[in-house]
Amino acid sequence: MKTEEKLSILANAAKYDVSCASSGSTRANSPGGIGNAARRGICHSWSADGRCISLLKILLSNDCLFDCAYCMSRRSNDLPRATFTPEEIADLTINFYLRNYIEGLFLSSAVYASPDKTMSDMVDVCRLLRKKHLFNGYIHLKIIPGASRELVDQAALLADRLSVNIELPSESSLKILAPQKSRQAILQPMHHISEHKTGFALEAKKSRHTPNYCPAGQSTQMIIGASGESDLHILNLTQSLYRRMQLKRVYYSAYMPVNDVPNLPAPLSPPPLIREHRLYQADWLLRFYKFEAEEILSSNSPNLDERIDPKAAWALRNFDHFPLDINRASYEELLRVPGLGVLSAQRIVAARRVTAIREEDLKKIGLVMKRAKYFLSIKGRSLAPSSFAYHHVVAAMNRAEPASSSKIRHASKQLRLF
Amino acid sequence: MSELVYLYDGSFEGLLTAVAVAVKSPRPVHRVFAGRHYVPSLFATTLMVEGDPAQAERILSYLQEISKDAVQLAMQAFLSEDKDAANYLYEFIRLCLSRGAAVLQFHTNDSVRSLLNLSRKVDFEAHRLNGMLRFRILEDGVLYAPFQSDHNVIAHCAGHFQKRLAERTWILHDTGRNFALYWDTNSLQPADIDDELRAYTTHFGELPEHLLTDQERYYQHLWRCFHAAVSNPERENKLLQRSFMPRRYWHFLVEMKGRNRG
Repeated sequence: MKTEEKLSILANAAKYDVSCASSGSTRANSPGGIGNAARRGICHSWSADGRCISLLKILLSNDCLFDCAYCMSRRSNDLPRATFTPEEIADLTINFYLRNYIEGLFLSSAVYASPDKTMSDMVDVCRLLRKKHLFNGYIHLKIIPGASRELVDQAALLADRLSVNIELPSESSLKILAPQKSRQAILQPMHHISEHKTGFALEAKKSRHTPNYCPAGQSTQMIIGASGESDLHILNLTQSLYRRMQLKRVYYSAYMPVNDVPNLPAPLSPPPLIREHRLYQADWLLRFYKFEAEEILSSNSPNLDERIDPKAAWALRNFDHFPLDINRASYEELLRVPGLGVLSAQRIVAARRVTAIREEDLKKIGLVMKRAKYFLSIKGRSLAPSSFAYHHVVAAMNRAEPASSSKIRHASKQLRLF
Repeated sequence: MSELVYLYDGSFEGLLTAVAVAVKSPRPVHRVFAGRHYVPSLFATTLMVEGDPAQAERILSYLQEISKDAVQLAMQAFLSEDKDAANYLYEFIRLCLSRGAAVLQFHTNDSVRSLLNLSRKVDFEAHRLNGMLRFRILEDGVLYAPFQSDHNVIAHCAGHFQKRLAERTWILHDTGRNFALYWDTNSLQPADIDDELRAYTTHFGELPEHLLTDQERYYQHLWRCFHAAVSNPERENKLLQRSFMPRRYWHFLVEMKGRNRG
């Protein structure tokens, strides 16, 4: 089979992997070597679905032994199968990298032999790139559940980021939809990596010759909408992954029906893109806005409202906390105001250090008051028009974010049918 | 009294000199412009300021005293090629004289804010192009990347690739400003690009046929295959794609060739 065909098949099979981050690593170039990592990450292109392309995202093979119900590459599907040789991948990576098409390699694979054999072939690709081609660009390696600890350690010392896909949010759905994968086999390597990374970091404080163990940390991905878990369950899981396993990112992927299976949404039913979008917003609240999962959702209302973003929803539930004085509120309080992001909050704090902020300064600092005006005051005067009722605020919050959600609605092919 | 307008030749040295002269001027100064940005006005007195290295040096060291960020801001303002950059810088330095380094925090002052915004724009475009430059590998192994940018970011990009591709020889070519930098694995220097080559690449966004090796064609083709395959048709969102990767950059992008009407 020609490289071109393999590339098409195996890139197509890799498109369901969401992550394309190339950030978090500071690997430097070496004498005689090629490339380095950029701490902020660099996007090189964007595909027609609007997602960034920064890594050569491919599978080593799509010839899978497993039969997971949600996966396109599962064994019982009749589709063209291909497997790359390590040299082919190295050649593509180096040649794309030199032309500045990519920031590095994202390598995943179907389990075509035992997990150990698959994992060890993937590690071989990494080793070939790092040792023979002296490649210092970014490498994201997927860990195959069930691979031995030694292989995970080798991978961690060669790659920048590792990820183990958690696939589904609970053990019971995993049993139904991916019977060959177990929660234990997924969480165990995650735990192992997190512990060793902390250990190596401690060691690095004593000696600067300590090798870099998984320098860009680990991430994971789960499918949304293929099984019945609530958003609260998903957010709690996400929060514990960030806290207990020190994950850098948790990715969500709206389930796209690829197989006709009784337990799953029927083919052609639309992917739950808006739910995915709201979950990402909630994920941001956990990571950058100092929220707790229990503040965003509770067992009384375990699912995110699709019409309103989770931060606005929180502010409406806690309307008695507002309005906040823009010159007095702490940074943490400002972060909780709908319509103010991390950058806006930082700017407010920086600007008022020099002089008190007046109403006419708001726009100059670059604040967007569409939502925030209902929650802020200056010198005891609210920034909203003189009198407004609670339901006006609710309506304003609903109206405030049509852009992104209608974009999703507009651009999603299936949704457009209705 | 008529308005006083200082003009300079468009160089960094000229900019600094003009700003310095304006700051020192005993008469109120209205504007400072690069000659090419100035639209003559009936009632203004214009003064052309010659670049003076010693004067430029002095004002730079003054900014250095204020803070490193102030120097950075002046350079970024120059690279932005914004027509009002010199005015902002003039106002900024006048403020610095009375208020010192705190001026950098004056987010509510129009000139300071505009300078900070210009600086951010330049950094953003440089970062964007670090990802969106496309090298073509020539017969002799030299990597050649033609591009066009709003701001003058070639130096930022060269700094990036100097680390990344230190052991390769490469050329960055800003076709809009017709300026090229050549890295010979050791030092960076301005390069002359053949007029014919420049005209061809500027027009077609690609190398002329006789310079494209088979290998180059092969990898360009593979990259297009990959780019198409990795997209999810169920989630197609061209609007989002364009908002991240505006059309004006597509001209030199291998993967977007021929999609201009897409």
